Amino acid sequence: MNREEFIQKLFAKAREAGFQDCEACYAAGSDFSCEVFKGEVISYSSADSMGLGFRGLFHGKMGYASTQVLDEDAIDFLVEGAKTNAQLIESEDEEFLYPGSGEYAQVETYHPALEKVTAAEKLELCRRMEQLTLGMSDKVPQVEGCEIMSEMHETAIVNTRGLNVSGKGNLLGAYIAPLAKDGDKVNSGYKFAFTQDVSALDVESLVQNAVREAVDGLNAVSAPSGDTPVCIRGDAMADLLSTFSGVFSAKNAQKDLSLLKGREGEVIAAECVTILDDPHMPHMAASAAFDGEGVATRVKKVVDGGKLTTLLHNLKTAKRQGVETTGNASRPSYSSSVGVAPTNFYVQPSETAPQTLFQEMGDGLLITSVQGLHAGANAISGDFSLAAKGYFVREGKVSGAANGITIAGNFFDLLKNITAVANDLTFTPPSSSTFGSPTVWVSSLAVAGSADA
Amino acid sequence: MISKRIAEAALCAALKTGGDFAEIFCQDKRQNMLTLMDGHIENAVTARIHGAGIRVYCGLNSVYVHTNDTTLAGLTAAAAKAADAIGDAKTQAQVSLVGSVVPNIHPVAQLPMDVPGRRRANLLKNAQKAACDVSQEIKQVQANLLDWDSEVLIANSEGLFVQDRRVYTRMALAAVAAGSNENQTGFAGPGALMGFELFETRVDPEGEARAAAQRAVTMLHADNCPGGVMPVVIDGGFGGVIFHEACGHSLEATSVAFGNSEFCGKLGQQIASPVVTAIDDGTMVNEWGSSNLDDEGNPTTRLVLIEKGILKNYMVDRLNSRRMGMPVTGSGRRQDYTFAPTSRMRNTYIAAGTDDEGEIIATCGDGLYAKTMGGGSVNPATGEFNFAVDEGYLIRDGKIDKPVRGAMLIGRGGEILTRIDRVGKKMWMAQGMCGSSSGSVPTNVGQPMIRVTSLTVGGR
Repeated sequence: MNREEFIQKLFAKAREAGFQDCEACYAAGSDFSCEVFKGEVISYSSADSMGLGFRGLFHGKMGYASTQVLDEDAIDFLVEGAKTNAQLIESEDEEFLYPGSGEYAQVETYHPALEKVTAAEKLELCRRMEQLTLGMSDKVPQVEGCEIMSEMHETAIVNTRGLNVSGKGNLLGAYIAPLAKDGDKVNSGYKFAFTQDVSALDVESLVQNAVREAVDGLNAVSAPSGDTPVCIRGDAMADLLSTFSGVFSAKNAQKDLSLLKGREGEVIAAECVTILDDPHMPHMAASAAFDGEGVATRVKKVVDGGKLTTLLHNLKTAKRQGVETTGNASRPSYSSSVGVAPTNFYVQPSETAPQTLFQEMGDGLLITSVQGLHAGANAISGDFSLAAKGYFVREGKVSGAANGITIAGNFFDLLKNITAVANDLTFTPPSSSTFGSPTVWVSSLAVAGSADA
Repeated sequence: MISKRIAEAALCAALKTGGDFAEIFCQDKRQNMLTLMDGHIENAVTARIHGAGIRVYCGLNSVYVHTNDTTLAGLTAAAAKAADAIGDAKTQAQVSLVGSVVPNIHPVAQLPMDVPGRRRANLLKNAQKAACDVSQEIKQVQANLLDWDSEVLIANSEGLFVQDRRVYTRMALAAVAAGSNENQTGFAGPGALMGFELFETRVDPEGEARAAAQRAVTMLHADNCPGGVMPVVIDGGFGGVIFHEACGHSLEATSVAFGNSEFCGKLGQQIASPVVTAIDDGTMVNEWGSSNLDDEGNPTTRLVLIEKGILKNYMVDRLNSRRMGMPVTGSGRRQDYTFAPTSRMRNTYIAAGTDDEGEIIATCGDGLYAKTMGGGSVNPATGEFNFAVDEGYLIRDGKIDKPVRGAMLIGRGGEILTRIDRVGKKMWMAQGMCGSSSGSVPTNVGQPMIRVTSLTVGGR
């Protein structure tokens, strides 16, 4: 059965079963990835995928079910499954199916030329990236990972209230993780880059940066324990922002799971901190003209000069709080229920070079990566205690590498203790929400390490 | 599920360009998730996942293609795509499949999808109530009931044609204790490779909820953990995550076959203190990390990884067995048909030792008692690990003193293994989801109480 026919039959059957209104979220796409190790292709994966999520209002409650097969059986499975699920819902919140907003922005997320890049060309690129890596330093005998990936996806949301929106996007990514060895010492580093234009992919500088970090780290030493001034590089800060991004969700706030509840209009960060949510950035995987409920998306400052201007809303949370939705209904996959999530969520960069921040800081640490975010950070309390790597900063200059340390603090304190932000905006790998930050200078974080003070 | 005839046709199509091995993994899975928040059922989601992955080898080269279309046409098209990627020879392949029935050693008494919705909802509500009854400081409880029923069929060009059915049930509950402008959470996530009878035979959902709530309340009143280097006593159960992260991942062929592990070339050598024996066992009845067959169709095994400190075995999947020249260990696993399988842990634990738990603490001097561990991660190439302590206490002069929060343990796997000087008598396990290159799979971690003579503890 084709998609249109399936949806038509599905909606008819759902209405017969007692659903007032219903909606289908269809997603299809293709993925490719390949990995090379010592010239050999060690993994190669290619896939086409498709799925359809159904949701509908049954006596005012929203029921969900999804499938990866579009046949007659699937229609019964979806209708019965969603009906059973709707009957279990006890939440009294009003649920919505959106009729569509007249105007949607034009967002550049699809680049037709990228679809013409063949698998063989991607493999060749992957091989070249490994060769470049191994040729860059005699301390790098092998890679820990060398991968090229690409994806194309399309999404459509159709409902019985008139909504009919669709969009598509594509991307190609490169990931390189050199393994540096020197006698007994081992260290790895990694870098990734994503693009819609293969010719613009600078593999050489990607490899260079990854190799430098892997080799530098061979001689890393621990730091002494104590409160220390730190600069957190953009990629590490973006990881932290990602981990704690849930605190900006109105859904979490309404469930008492965010300490930002009811704090709109208050100062929650240093004056130099502005955080944007921009669903219209071109060439980003998280960009889209419509959100998970089909509402037109818009660019907004969530934190403006340190002040919290708004939390992120979908139709349900907005209604509950008596405000307009911010167009942040999330549906990371066709099978997920509607939640709230940012799109491209980032700390606005300044005009200052990171080197200037180091000079002004004088002595301290530059944190280039944090590990263990899924375990060592508590999005509800804001507390974090994380393994970290980076460099020592001495008299304003980045010097030897640091490892075997942890940094600990509280995200809400950290936002207030940001002394300055730099101009080197960096993003996390593409996802349905993507996070970004430039290097930030934090007046003090608790560092633990095994070195003598 | 697909017939032998369709599987044979697809495997032949996969081998037509010179591949020397082909495999089909076909899956039909139904899953449910019920979510309680704010004291009532807020979300219920049902999904059907259906598709197949086709893998072709040519020597050490491997290609994986997956699709939702499991008709003859869909599978042969996917197979042809894989064949085109692996080579350009023209060969005629013959595949003749011989079906075999795999005995099921993990009985299921009550399929979760047969349990009425109200009964499933009540389980969460009772657990939520039990958590709230612990203290007025418990301000929010989020509880999920997850179940999935996955039928898999694995066929390969060596003639294998087998099926397995895996039924999983789990409750995951987070209790949040709130004070003035701060929150702490406690988590419990008991589960098993069995049906809804889990909650009558093995797990007391309300007891688990109370324990999670109590942890949240304890941590709300805890001071920050001081940072530094100290002896650390790690309790049993989820404490086994230390071995899982710090050593287990580095013993998977995924790392070892490429020289990306600190334990490469160390079989037969002393890599751990002689008090350490560690096992990875996929055959434990109804356990979260078990299955009758691995995802490459091999029977699962009980594998001794380390015996009295000596490295005995790596966990090896089919492709890496070619690379390493070592036999497979029934450790090939994947999240679902969208992932090519690779070597993964199953139920991994440090075996019970001979030390008295009371003595372990009493002779510790000053240190940290990590009663409940959170998650963590490791870089297998360097062995560097980190993991969080969800519920920790300072040990002062051999006695458990006050609770501390925010402790993070860091170090290298090879170092920590040699520094374990005590292993307690009682081993137990806990459930987790382990993420790696073949996706997220259910794994058990476990150990008795152990003591590490010195570790870097992050805190403030």
